[in-house]
Amino acid sequence: MSQKISLKEMERRAFRSAFQDGLVDIFIGCFISMFAIAPFLSTKLGDFWSSVIFLPIWAIVYLILWLIKKHVVKPRVGTVNYGSWRKSRMIKFNLIIFFILVIALILGILSFVKFDSMPGWIHTARFSLIILIAFSVAAYFLDFTRLYLYGALSAFAPLIGEVLYVYLKAPHHGFPITFGFVSCLIMITGLVLFIRLLREHPRPSLQVESEVMVE
Amino acid sequence: MTDQRIEQETLHPLAGIDQVIHAPARLMVLSYLYVVESADFIFLRGMTGLTWGNLSTHLSKLEEAGYVTIEKGYKGKKPHTMIRLTDPGRVAFREYKRSLQQVLDDLPD
Repeated sequence: MSQKISLKEMERRAFRSAFQDGLVDIFIGCFISMFAIAPFLSTKLGDFWSSVIFLPIWAIVYLILWLIKKHVVKPRVGTVNYGSWRKSRMIKFNLIIFFILVIALILGILSFVKFDSMPGWIHTARFSLIILIAFSVAAYFLDFTRLYLYGALSAFAPLIGEVLYVYLKAPHHGFPITFGFVSCLIMITGLVLFIRLLREHPRPSLQVESEVMVE
Repeated sequence: MTDQRIEQETLHPLAGIDQVIHAPARLMVLSYLYVVESADFIFLRGMTGLTWGNLSTHLSKLEEAGYVTIEKGYKGKKPHTMIRLTDPGRVAFREYKRSLQQVLDDLPD
């Protein structure tokens, strides 16, 4: 029994090594920063375009991080192809996240179309709940425990923002303050992990790799 | 019954354990390869903590036993070595697990 647990833990360790570079954290931080910046843009661009404008920005950030992963991280930590168990788990994860996004989209449309008379805090609470569920599902399926914390922080951000808005008249429902704080925290965590990886995993010299290959 | 025969019979369960797998470093390497589809040399080195030379030697022994395949190639201009557990290697690892479990279970408390 203990052998079984140990092998499972080894598989988990191998999979989790993919997140030790902090690049996913940096991307999540960039994603969440949208909620902090978009309110400032919405006055000029409107709600729709102030959000859509982030799509190309995310694409560029994603491309940069992908290139860093390929040319900086992989030569240091190596490459692994996961087993069938992990692959099927990833398929399940993608399906569930897709399902959650569809529900979020439907609720978002309904809030504009049908339930606009609802009090603002209900929209905020629903938004927080969806964020929390999405992050928790990702944390569970990816064995990526930091995501539970990121989910909790991101879910509390709009609620705290609402409190700041009501009691301190913080602009834009306090989103720039709370989401700005959360996104900075997540990005800094990612940067620290990335720098640590660069220090702990020096790039193997071409000579050593070649010598090993010859053997 | 000769002393040698008695000794052989007493040690039989242990003697049946695959000595190629039984070395701690090779057991660690095989365990990682058992839970993933394939991995490259750098990844295995990072996971096991072995040195380049050590890992290379152990992988050669595992390859000689037919337990792993080592595909040497290039990614662009850089050398790249992918390692994969073979089907006989997977069977041998399972058998090793079973044998070791049996030996350990039979030991008195």
